[in-house]
Amino acid sequence: MKIKIKGAIILLLTVFLIVGFSSVTKEEKKSEFKVAWSIYAGWNPWAYAKESGILDKWAAKYDIDIKLVKMDYIPSIEAYTSKEVDACVMTNMDALTIPVASGIPSTAIILGDFSNGNDAILVRNNLKINGLKGKKVSLVEYSVSHYLLSRALDKNGMKDSDVRVINVSDSDIAPAYVANDEQEAVVTWNPLVMEIMKTPGISKIFDSSQIPGEILDLMMINKNVLDKNPELALALNGAWFEVMSIMSTRGAKADNALVQMAKAGGSSLNEYKAQLKTTAMFYKAGDAVNYMSGDEIKSNMKRVRNFCFKYKLLGDRVNTPDDIGIQFPDGSVLGNQSNILFYFDSSYMMENAR
Amino acid sequence: MGSSDYCLNINNAHQKYDEKTILNGINAKIKQGEFVTVVGPTGCGKSTTLRLILGSELPSKGKVLYNDIMITKPDRNRGVVFQKYSLFPHKTVRENIMFGPELETFNLFEPIIQPFRYKRRRKEFKVIADQYLKRVRLLEHADKYPNMLSGGQRQRAAIAQAMIMKPDVILMDEPFGALDEGTREEMQIFTLEQWKDSKQTVLFITHSLEEAIFMGTRLIVISQYYQHDAGEEGSKIVKDIDIPWDHPRSTKIKNTTQFKDLMESIRYEGLDPDHLQNIGDFDLSHIDSVRNLM
Amino acid sequence: MFFDINAKPGKSISIFLGILLFGLAVMLYGSASHSRHADNPQDKLVPTPTQMWKSFSNAIFRPVIEQEFNDDGELIPNDEPKNLREAFKVGKHWEMLRNGEWQLLEDTLASGYRVLIAMLFIFAGVLLGLYMGMFPYLDKLLYRFILFFDKIPALAVLPILFIVFGLDETAKISLIVIGVAPTIILDTYLRVKDVPKENITKGMTLKASTQEIIYKIVFPQVFPKVLDTLRLNFKAVILFLIAGEALAAEAGLGYRIFVVRRYMDMATIIPYVIWISVLAFSIDFFLRRWIKKKFIWIKK
Repeated sequence: MKIKIKGAIILLLTVFLIVGFSSVTKEEKKSEFKVAWSIYAGWNPWAYAKESGILDKWAAKYDIDIKLVKMDYIPSIEAYTSKEVDACVMTNMDALTIPVASGIPSTAIILGDFSNGNDAILVRNNLKINGLKGKKVSLVEYSVSHYLLSRALDKNGMKDSDVRVINVSDSDIAPAYVANDEQEAVVTWNPLVMEIMKTPGISKIFDSSQIPGEILDLMMINKNVLDKNPELALALNGAWFEVMSIMSTRGAKADNALVQMAKAGGSSLNEYKAQLKTTAMFYKAGDAVNYMSGDEIKSNMKRVRNFCFKYKLLGDRVNTPDDIGIQFPDGSVLGNQSNILFYFDSSYMMENAR
Repeated sequence: MGSSDYCLNINNAHQKYDEKTILNGINAKIKQGEFVTVVGPTGCGKSTTLRLILGSELPSKGKVLYNDIMITKPDRNRGVVFQKYSLFPHKTVRENIMFGPELETFNLFEPIIQPFRYKRRRKEFKVIADQYLKRVRLLEHADKYPNMLSGGQRQRAAIAQAMIMKPDVILMDEPFGALDEGTREEMQIFTLEQWKDSKQTVLFITHSLEEAIFMGTRLIVISQYYQHDAGEEGSKIVKDIDIPWDHPRSTKIKNTTQFKDLMESIRYEGLDPDHLQNIGDFDLSHIDSVRNLM
Repeated sequence: MFFDINAKPGKSISIFLGILLFGLAVMLYGSASHSRHADNPQDKLVPTPTQMWKSFSNAIFRPVIEQEFNDDGELIPNDEPKNLREAFKVGKHWEMLRNGEWQLLEDTLASGYRVLIAMLFIFAGVLLGLYMGMFPYLDKLLYRFILFFDKIPALAVLPILFIVFGLDETAKISLIVIGVAPTIILDTYLRVKDVPKENITKGMTLKASTQEIIYKIVFPQVFPKVLDTLRLNFKAVILFLIAGEALAAEAGLGYRIFVVRRYMDMATIIPYVIWISVLAFSIDFFLRRWIKKKFIWIKK
């Protein structure tokens, strides 16, 4: 009996050791990459890049293989954070709160667009913003909607605590709001905003066009992967701006591309065009480079960072907002220089600015 | 004799389940104070007959009367002791016995509305219940639950539970069927003792001929083994007799020839599927028996 | 030896085997967490016990510190104490405790309220099952209907509930009720039908009225068995509670898990899940003991 117990303990220890010493994936030079995207007006062009073969062309140019994976938004960011994919499109705020807060150093290599009305506060009964005081507002808590609301309140001299936030899951927020007259206010994004606006009696009292440049849509890439494999960034940029130039040049090719993009996003061409109206796309690489290297982006990121800090979304090791460093193209750092986890790198976009 | 002398009157009762007729005209008049035992082959409808008198079933044809009033549902005038499940498992033995008097005296909200009266009367019931417990020799088990008692103890409790209500009629459906021989004989003597003082009418169903003859003042045999007319089926009373020995009886009579002969004749006339009597030949020699040639 | 049917494990090896799998799981978790953190100290997916404890103690109590930003976006420094120890030094600890955030308590109370109200309705379902079992007309009217309802997957109905009832408590509580009540009603009904008919007939011969038969004879026999079914269905109650809170809520145990799930805060989620399990286990444990004590007449 004693021998059997001993044997069991040895077995246990062996298992422990095997698991303990199994290594976690280390970044290294490789030639196959996975890039995740999700349906959104500013990201649907990636589907066109894939279908038209443009992405493969650019990948072949740099001798690599890029696999584009379509996912739901949050799962795509989670896949990026757990290193199942090497790059992913996401907003600046979500990049901060999810991968960066989990310690994944990430670089923004493409500034695709900023939300210029795609995120909005909708109300019934013609409520004004100060009328929201004490009322319940439905939104996805700690998302860009929450940030939008906070900015709207701030601009009207109110505090976040003046309203009651009700967290609603994003798949149900639109139908629940439309069906229920008792809900007075909701904050959400497109295409849900357009859907909800079809219902009579609902008005928009604030949207992201009033805070331009604060909600950025970026292609984030794992910095460690990037450092060892800059070809990935070059290929992605090349493909992206080729698609951008197609989109922005009038003609049959553009129309065809738009049709495909609309289809990839599950909307009609007209709906997609309407969504593009509230999306400030950087069709020219040069414009994107200039914006990323400017001053506005720094103060905007500061605001976003402060919001995330206030709601403790930057991770439990953060005691001040400056604990995480955000580096801009000119090398300046917002926050702790020895703990830079968020990088804005415009050098790859610059390749396409000529 | 005026009909009001008859406590129970089963008047041409028929019963059928779906299309099968079980009772094909049962006739019996029973006076108050009789100890009537009922036997018959399996499936003859003994329990059915008991249920008609109890009131938990209604006859498909005919009438069953208690003191000349038609029986429509069970009530306190006809107590019952089943073979199993007579006692309430969630009450102690004493509580089981007190239950009847409590139900009779109090309504549902009494404990809340009239707490003092409730407590006082309850104490009185406890005293009476304890008397019955002593009689059935269960006083030391009074606070136990039925699941802690033996089969014989449970049946004694069930009898006390039925008797405390002092109903005119007590119906017993094979009450000792699940007990062993020794306990069984004890219970037979015990039951007769209880009956002796109470002057209740007892209807006692049993499978055991010996038990039936030993206990009853009157024995009725219900059987389906007789000559039916074409297209007819079901049981009738094929034998209805007076049992000759006086009470109190000694168990020794079970060994006498007379006893054994009586058992044999009952077996032959009523329980033998191969011996089918003519209706006119039924031995209905009891004074109150009803010869019904229909 | 292991697969011997006649085996009689000794006391010490029984204890050892009982803890073995728990120990293994904890060790595996510990080493996975350790290796991930060696690679990335800020890893959130497999938090260390320290991280989880820190998050959990924050959930129990967190002082509310006013942190304002000036127009330049810089944090305005203030002298207010930042934690209980500092507050204690300046005598402001009671104030801090009063104004602080008792998140776990709030969440537990919010969820507990929903479960409590749902249980009241479910108990009404027990009574319905009771009456269904006793009254044949009611039986014929309701049985098939409730049987059908029992088969509806309640989670599929969830979005409809929110659309019809709004995002408030009504939808969340009715989800729990719709999910669990039909089973309880049917179970009670079947238990009632299992009560030996002799008991009911006996009751009539003892002069029990219909109400007395129901509440003094049938219900007491049926109740402990119904409690057992309720115990076993508690898992479903929690499932529906969490599903409802995940969809729309302001506070609650399920709400908290899904809100922080968005940014993968496993250090909050794992302790919350353990907390829910502990609560459920305790309720089950005390209920089982109470049933055993109060209903000693049940034969096993």
